[in-house]
Amino acid sequence: MSRITVENVTRRYGGAKAVDGVSLDIADGEFLVLLGPSGCGKSTLLRAIAGLLAPSEGRILVDGRDVTDIPARGRDLAMVFQSYALYPHLTVARNIGFPLRARRVRRADVRRRVAEVAEILDLSALLDRRPRELSGGQRQRVALGRALVRDPGAFLMDEPLSNLDAQLRTATRTEITELHRRLGRTFIYVTHDQVEAMTMATRVAVLNRGRLEQIGSPTEVYDQPASAFVAAFLGSPPMNLLDAELVTRDGQLHAVAPQVDVPLGIRVAAAGAPRDGGDPAAGRAIQLGIRPEHLLVTSATGGTGSTDSTDSGSAHETGPAVLRGTIRTVENLGSEEIAHCVIGATEVRVRARRPAGLTAGDAIALSARPEHTHLFDRDSGRRLVWQSDQPVSVPPARVPVTT
Amino acid sequence: MALAIEGPTAEQAVLEPVAAIAAADGDDIPGGRSRVMTVVGHVTLALLGLACVFPIYWMYATSLRRPDDVYKTSVLPWPLSVGSYRDALDELDLARLLLNTTMVAALTALGQLLTSILAAYAFAVWNFPLKRLLYLAFVGTWLVPFQVTMLPNYVLLHQLGLLNTLTGVIVPNLVSALGVLLLRQHFDSFPKELLEAARIDGRSSWSTLWTVVVPNLRAALSALAILLFVNAWNEYFWPAMVLQRDNSVLQLGINSFLNSTEVEAWGPLTAAAGLACLPIFALYLALQRQVINGFVRSGLR
Ligand SMILES: Nc1ncnc2c1ncn2[C@@H]1O[C@H](COP(=O)(O)OP(=O)(O)OP(=O)(O)O)[C@@H](O)[C@H]1O
Ligand SMILES: [Mg+2]
Repeated sequence: MSRITVENVTRRYGGAKAVDGVSLDIADGEFLVLLGPSGCGKSTLLRAIAGLLAPSEGRILVDGRDVTDIPARGRDLAMVFQSYALYPHLTVARNIGFPLRARRVRRADVRRRVAEVAEILDLSALLDRRPRELSGGQRQRVALGRALVRDPGAFLMDEPLSNLDAQLRTATRTEITELHRRLGRTFIYVTHDQVEAMTMATRVAVLNRGRLEQIGSPTEVYDQPASAFVAAFLGSPPMNLLDAELVTRDGQLHAVAPQVDVPLGIRVAAAGAPRDGGDPAAGRAIQLGIRPEHLLVTSATGGTGSTDSTDSGSAHETGPAVLRGTIRTVENLGSEEIAHCVIGATEVRVRARRPAGLTAGDAIALSARPEHTHLFDRDSGRRLVWQSDQPVSVPPARVPVTT
Repeated sequence: MALAIEGPTAEQAVLEPVAAIAAADGDDIPGGRSRVMTVVGHVTLALLGLACVFPIYWMYATSLRRPDDVYKTSVLPWPLSVGSYRDALDELDLARLLLNTTMVAALTALGQLLTSILAAYAFAVWNFPLKRLLYLAFVGTWLVPFQVTMLPNYVLLHQLGLLNTLTGVIVPNLVSALGVLLLRQHFDSFPKELLEAARIDGRSSWSTLWTVVVPNLRAALSALAILLFVNAWNEYFWPAMVLQRDNSVLQLGINSFLNSTEVEAWGPLTAAAGLACLPIFALYLALQRQVINGFVRSGLR
């Protein structure tokens, strides 16, 4: 039973901040994934929670108790390390039993618990081996076992799957999710792999350069990224971001750039409302975000000159083309293909079900539904939402940090 | 109509192993060195080995000659005789000397090992103010010649009334800067995640040292222990100073053959020296694997 609260934690190395004022409230039984690129401070934050390093500022609470100054062993947390950190001189059984022996649990009880855990993790046949005699996957399970055996309040895991091959990783992912469901314990899980984050998490916290960019359910961070960083980090390929300007035309807001003219489905300026002879959003520098799977191919033709001409019936559903450019390369992923297109000065990726009949060198016209467009402030990178009379940057404070 | 299998048939699909064989058949040995170089290397090593072994062989050969033949230079000591050994045993209370020397060497080495482990662990794992300075000072003591500390130590022992005791020989040598230096290298390269895992698993720093670090560095520690033991075993000058009036360790006993008699008694001398070497040989034989591991590899994984 552990609710873990991180209050304004900062960790400095010299002058640089590895973790910069992060606050999190992790409810009991939650599976929180700390996600971010390499070097963003995920491990540092996790190790501060574990008690392996002291935060320079801020507090850490477990179940409301301030544990900032309590050593790791007093926090009732277990940790699985990226390198597994198994004790090379001990057998599997003694590795798993180590935390219990350190706590002076009676020998018979240790043996019983080790046998139970080995049963759960399918390690019973390996109990007498040394770590060096195990495969990577088996070592990983022993590391899990060593965490499980104590029945701690929360599990901390630092990229526990990154040393496994792709197939094993998928299998272990399912196992850990299953484990979380069965134990009902709090999990804090560090990864830079968005697939792990999307599939395992109940909530995802995205970190960038030591700062918390966004926290929310996997669906929220994917569908409503709070910043251009989150948008560009999630998804493979990630969201397309195009520099554009806001223009009002026919009472409709458009994002406009060379070869780009995207209606945003936002009605502005009911008659008489515009002050100063125009609306305040006009000319504002933004970044327009559209996910590759939300770009629809209205036409792709060889030769020069793209046209609106509807040579396929689908144009009806997809609406008028809003982005025009040429296809640079096409990647075949089996079930679908990714077309890399040059539009204006930017490269835009389009995901389409195969066969989409896209060929490198062709001209392409794309459309997107207004509800699939995202706007970000070009300077701050924060998400813009439409409020009553003008787009407003979501202040960082409004990014929900609690549930 | 029959269904045909597309693509290469089994016969065509067989890989041709010829290329691999041809590559292995070349003049070069894997690793890129030619045979000539290997031979030259081995011969050089063999000669060096011989040069190292020869004095030891000569010592035993001399000790086994008849007392009259001691100055002969035939390679094989013939006829054999244990006369020199009898003389040596008559002259010296060899059992007592061996026991004393073993005790001095073992206690010194053990003490040095223990202090080295604690100091090196502190330097490698803990952060504390003035750590660098302290470490430099520590290592610096290694550079101070024995002659500089010899007199102050001697005076101190005199004041403490420890002259002519084995304690006096051991206590001033309980810390070895060399040991700290060598062990710190090993402790520094010890995987930090293992230490952190032990912390999470509930071990204090002290019990982490004994349950995780030391068992995993057994090889390095054995190597160091042997080094320290041999050093202490061969120590001559310091015991000679402290135990002036009492030939109570082997090295002093051996020396008495050179000083006490008019004629230099090479036979008993080599016999005693040969006996003095035996415990060291035994130690090496017993711990050979650890020594090689400790010196050649870091010993972990
Ligand atoms: N002991 C240290 N001394 C100095 N700087 C450090 C130290 N440990 C980490 N850092 C710095 O802090 C930042 C965050 O490191 P951290 O290990 O938390 O990254 P991470 O998000 O876990 O990355 P990865 O995904 O590569 O593991 C990095 O820029 C790193 O260089
Ligand atoms: Mg990390």
